[in-house]
Amino acid sequence: MLRELYNRTGEWLRGTGPESDIVISTRIRLARNLTNFPFLSRANDEQKKDIEKLARERIKENELTKNLHYIRLSQISPVDRLFLMERRLISREHAGSDGERGVAFGKAETISVMVNEEDHLRIQVIYSGFELRGAWKTIDELDNILEKELHYAFSPRFGYLTACPTNVGTGMRASVMMHLPALGLTHHIEKVFSAVGKLGLVVRGIYGEGTQVLGDLYQISNQFTLGKSEIEIVEIMESVVPRITSYERMARSALMTENKDQLEDRVWRSYGMLKMARMLSSEEVMHLLSQVRLGVNLGLINDVSIETLNELFILTLPAHLQKLEGKEMEATERNVIRASFVRKRLG
Amino acid sequence: MGEEVDMKCESCNKKHATVHLTEISGNEKRERHLCEECAHTLNNQLVKMPSPADILTSLINQVAPEIEEMSKTVCPACGLSYLEFRSQGRLGCPMDYTTFKKGLVPLLEKMHGNSQHIGKVPSRAGKELVVKNEILQLRKELDKAVEKEDYEKAAKIRDRIFELSGSENAEGTLQ
Ligand SMILES: [Zn+2]
Repeated sequence: MLRELYNRTGEWLRGTGPESDIVISTRIRLARNLTNFPFLSRANDEQKKDIEKLARERIKENELTKNLHYIRLSQISPVDRLFLMERRLISREHAGSDGERGVAFGKAETISVMVNEEDHLRIQVIYSGFELRGAWKTIDELDNILEKELHYAFSPRFGYLTACPTNVGTGMRASVMMHLPALGLTHHIEKVFSAVGKLGLVVRGIYGEGTQVLGDLYQISNQFTLGKSEIEIVEIMESVVPRITSYERMARSALMTENKDQLEDRVWRSYGMLKMARMLSSEEVMHLLSQVRLGVNLGLINDVSIETLNELFILTLPAHLQKLEGKEMEATERNVIRASFVRKRLG
Repeated sequence: MGEEVDMKCESCNKKHATVHLTEISGNEKRERHLCEECAHTLNNQLVKMPSPADILTSLINQVAPEIEEMSKTVCPACGLSYLEFRSQGRLGCPMDYTTFKKGLVPLLEKMHGNSQHIGKVPSRAGKELVVKNEILQLRKELDKAVEKEDYEKAAKIRDRIFELSGSENAEGTLQ
């Protein structure tokens, strides 16, 4: 089943949707727990198995969710788990932890349901571009379907009860993945961070909590989950994200008017490296892709699509590369294969 | 700008820097340019940005007065003690929210600026609660509309609130 995924990517990488030159994707996740079980940190192996089985069966039985792929993570290899993480179908914690756990996801990879992550259920929806309303509508409906099948732990006072009090209430984390190379180049990104922090939003690397920033990609998400409704959270994001987007656009046009020669040289050099290099680390690829993506968005480079670049961000990651190549490889060998893969794609 | 594409690793100063990282700690950003080897050894330090769990632990320590009287409390359902929650930052079961309520409320206030849920309610929780929650949300919207001096909108929201509180038992939600 995983094999079908190796050669394609999820819908959210298409580079379509509002503001998609800067906002790569919009993601919403809901944390949910079942009422008759302890949270996972206190659950024994037997209880974890029961939770996984119950969730899996209910997902498989329901008319509306029965066509989702379901994968039991204990039955696949660590590389396959890393592969699912790189695709953002599961989280880093979900890939790395042990015990019975699983993930259900749709063919378009727009929706996924993690079972036995930090909470019993982590429901997730990812859209291409800046699409908070669409993502909320979809996840709200999916949550309603699952709610009929599974008895959620809920209190009128504290809302949806979660293992960590940082998620309690709506259990909702909305985040947008933004490509902000010009704010990085002009050293204005710090201002964005401090402004965003004051508005109750947080900035993270692309694979969630505690991950580093690569390729000028940032995830901006809501910090508070209690005392604000889902729509209010969406509204806060809707008021802040366009400001960051226009800030990035201002930085881009400033670069174009004041440093066009250097900028043009920079993006073409990066493009040249990607097209010619014989060894590339995944961090280097991210860095170079980011520059080229900026070049394409500014019309400086015209012979490669945003979709191809977006895809390369994912397809050149270690697990993807090993799956495409059909074997496990050491870092040095991967760097050679990665460079040749990128050359082929950029033809 | 002006920085070259080709640069030396800032850690060993020998190999080419092929790893370009941006670290964030709080609201500070720092760029690092490293060779693969150095990046690997440094990687464990690099990923140490404060996680919500770290923030949680420091928050828990700030609400110390409550902890004194909570320290002997243990959840009858999952066996988690309040002190364990304090050190791990994770609750053990849904009932902990009731058992540790006294310690949790100030913590949640500090963390979210609020301790009352407003938002989606599972339909299983009953129609009354769904309505009550909608009224809570509408009242927030009403405040916003009044603040913006949008009285037409405010009047509509007020009518809707009356409508809802009439359909259910008024239950004092509107005083
Ligand atoms: Zn408990």
